[in-house]
Amino acid sequence: MKANEDELRQLMISGLDGNAADHAALLRHLVPLLRGFYRRRANGSEDDIEDLVQETLIAVHTRRASYDRDRLFTAWLFAVARYKMIDHLRRNRRLQPIEGLEEILIVEGFEDASGARLDVDDLLETLPVKQARMIRATRIEGMSVAEAATADGIGESDVKISVHRGLKTLMARFQGGGR
Amino acid sequence: MNTEDLITKLSADVPKVRRHAVGWRLAIGLLLGALVASAAVVSMLGIRPDLHVAMRGFAFWIKWTYTISLSAVALAVTAQLARPDSGSVRWVWLLAVPVTLLAGAGVIELVRTPPAKWLAMWLGHSWMVCPWIVLGLAMPIFIGLLWSFRRLAPTRLRAAGAAAGLSAGAFAATVYCVHCPEVSAIFVLTWYSLGILLAASLGALLGPRLLRW
Repeated sequence: MKANEDELRQLMISGLDGNAADHAALLRHLVPLLRGFYRRRANGSEDDIEDLVQETLIAVHTRRASYDRDRLFTAWLFAVARYKMIDHLRRNRRLQPIEGLEEILIVEGFEDASGARLDVDDLLETLPVKQARMIRATRIEGMSVAEAATADGIGESDVKISVHRGLKTLMARFQGGGR
Repeated sequence: MNTEDLITKLSADVPKVRRHAVGWRLAIGLLLGALVASAAVVSMLGIRPDLHVAMRGFAFWIKWTYTISLSAVALAVTAQLARPDSGSVRWVWLLAVPVTLLAGAGVIELVRTPPAKWLAMWLGHSWMVCPWIVLGLAMPIFIGLLWSFRRLAPTRLRAAGAAAGLSAGAFAATVYCVHCPEVSAIFVLTWYSLGILLAASLGALLGPRLLRW
């Protein structure tokens, strides 16, 4: 069973009032929450995750005076959890070879870039063929207007108009979809 | 250690925490440090002999209003940064209010004084030592605040360190007022503020190292 904000907050407040049983119940409820939180964010071994969970439980216990009863408990909890994760990463990065980190960054960057590329392809698909081709040529592949015109055997003004109309359509669609 | 054992161990000791514990704890740390700073002023510098007379004067209260209001705002900001979910820091802009008011008092003072005396008024008798004494007196107060932070959970350590340093500096200046005989507003605006800023900078420098948890 997953505990919700209200239950956790009640347990926390009761613990702050000195009720040890509720404090223990709170910490037990937090274990699965924190495991899930760290599994999703820190890609370490199960031992690492458990270390982080325990460190966070200790912090929740020793730093509980910093919780304000009138505010969201989960916001406080995850702020503590996030701090512990960053602290953990900072400590372990010193011991890890830097190449490993770079690889992770590059892979993540590649994923982002390919995701963005797919989005662009999807969008251009919705435009008339000529407009899509001209936008691709001048805005993505980096050709000049003159080069694109020569490559396609059309006039420069034709290229400019196609790009302009295509972008305008896309912009209108974005603004319409954003609302 | 097994997580279940850890929970059992932690739950063996669950002291009560009162409401507004952050504020209380910071206030206690600040006052304990201020006690040490006051003892240092009394034993090493001495209370100004004309304190009773001075306390009836306008200049003394301008100084105290300035340093006490700075301490109050700095402490409010420190209390915000002592929570992990501090979000955006409100109240910082309030620091500009006492500074602006004191600057206004300084301008009035300058207008009323012949320009030939301006330099003497600005430098007073103690401009060379004043910022350093404020910084020195801020040390025990800063240490007191470090003690407060041991049960608190700052996540922006540099900002929290700077705010603690600022509180310590401003409160140290408040304590120093019972010794310092300077009366001019522009003296206080320059040399007191410089000492307070030094304390805040030192706090920002040491924060990430000393406030980690």
